[in-house]
Amino acid sequence: MTISIESVGFAYTTSGRTSPMILSDVDLTIPEGEFLVLLGPSGCGKSTLLRLIAGFDNPTNGQLSIDGRTVEKPGKDRGMVFQDLDSALFEWLTVSENVEFGLKIDGVPKEDRIRRRDEALSMVNLLNHGQKFPDELSGGMKQRVQIARMLAMRPGIMLMDEPFASLDAQTRQRLQNQMISIWTEIGGTAVYVTHDIREAINLGQRIILMSAGPAAGIKRSYDVELEYPRNQSDPRYITLLEQISKDIEEEVSKVWQ
Amino acid sequence: MAVIDQPNQTKPHALIGLLSRSNFISIVSIALGLLVWEVCARLFIDPFFLPPVSVIFLGAVELFQQDLLLTHIGVSLMRILGGWLLGSLVAIPLGLLVGSFLTAKRVIDPYIHFLRFIPAIALVTLFIVWFGVGELSKILLVMYATAFIVMVNTATGVGTVHQNKRLAARTFGASTWQIFWRVTVPSAMPSIYVGMRLALASSFLVIVAVEMLAAESGLGYLIWTSKLYFKIDWMFVGIFLLGFLGLLTDYAWKMFGKHVIGRFVRTAANY
Repeated sequence: MTISIESVGFAYTTSGRTSPMILSDVDLTIPEGEFLVLLGPSGCGKSTLLRLIAGFDNPTNGQLSIDGRTVEKPGKDRGMVFQDLDSALFEWLTVSENVEFGLKIDGVPKEDRIRRRDEALSMVNLLNHGQKFPDELSGGMKQRVQIARMLAMRPGIMLMDEPFASLDAQTRQRLQNQMISIWTEIGGTAVYVTHDIREAINLGQRIILMSAGPAAGIKRSYDVELEYPRNQSDPRYITLLEQISKDIEEEVSKVWQ
Repeated sequence: MAVIDQPNQTKPHALIGLLSRSNFISIVSIALGLLVWEVCARLFIDPFFLPPVSVIFLGAVELFQQDLLLTHIGVSLMRILGGWLLGSLVAIPLGLLVGSFLTAKRVIDPYIHFLRFIPAIALVTLFIVWFGVGELSKILLVMYATAFIVMVNTATGVGTVHQNKRLAARTFGASTWQIFWRVTVPSAMPSIYVGMRLALASSFLVIVAVEMLAAESGLGYLIWTSKLYFKIDWMFVGIFLLGFLGLLTDYAWKMFGKHVIGRFVRTAANY
């Protein structure tokens, strides 16, 4: 599925009052099957852009469409993994039941449901933890439940909002590799938000660096022409890392002044 | 006993759990407390002010032999549990409504926050005039005392459901109605559960006051009339039983939380 974003701007409107623009004039096309990373300093509106694609909010101006259809609300074609470890999981349901939740809503017959559930759980190596409740899991496992829950729905677009940001470095690295192998296996479009430059280079085919807010937009785009899994000692990796670090520093210093 | 020697085993049954080591310590503590009371009451204190435990126990036996003990207990429990359950039955849907719809909140809230500060005790006479001296007025008063606590807790529970849960459900294509039943209601369960637990305690307060003022039976009536006969031991039987029944019903509710609706209240039933 192709996502096209044309001169999109966004401001929150609460009881008739409009906030200053958070995003302004964003133009971006994400072709079918691309793994795109939105990178930027905190508060730059990258999560806001992701929420617009998810359909949680609607653009204040401009046009956002998927395969030519304007996005107005969330839909089964777009799965979402939230940053927060606890707030998005259903704590009264076991891991298995969490993964089945969407399938039940969708009216998938029981046999099919169980097959798709187990398939999704085995992709994130959680097949043996199906009977546990979320409060019995580590942070990394909770995020894998969220990923499995999304995978079970087989969405054409996977949206991920800093899913590994609150995990330790080792777990994060493992999950990045797992994410890439899952995406290589099932395909589909992926939009991944992060503030971590290495994570962006490890994951993205293309990295979009956003400028600092308010009225944030796209500062620069980088194509990452390195094979997966990305080798962090590759000179091209290091050159790109330095380039992005320099560009991002420029944006951060704007905010601090 | 073998059971006491295995403190870290998971408890397969509530009754076996009663014998675990932590409970054993509590039982010893209670026994010691009663012993100190007995000794003090016999040696240092005028038994008219504080009769020894043994005398109170004999008072209970005396009441039992006159067929009064179980009647008073039964009547009070029926009023408490009946009013509490019916009150919750009214309050939970109302709380869900107020918590979910801003218009409902604006319509109902002023009444709720005005009425909930009027204690049920202030309304005893009025309720008896309106609903008669029978059981109806008593159960309605317990309902009144229960309903506000449960309602406010339920509405608070609905208000604190994290937005991400609803958003996640929307990405699965859930309708507003499906989100209400499958996300909002289960998310609010811990608050409802805790609200009902608090309301249970206030049901005891109300029913005793009501029975003292306008009843021919029940533990409140027992405590009140005992003073007329200078039966201070009977009065203590009534006081004891209130504490004991409170503890027992609270424990039953806790076990209901742990074993029947455990998945919904996960940690709320821990204390």
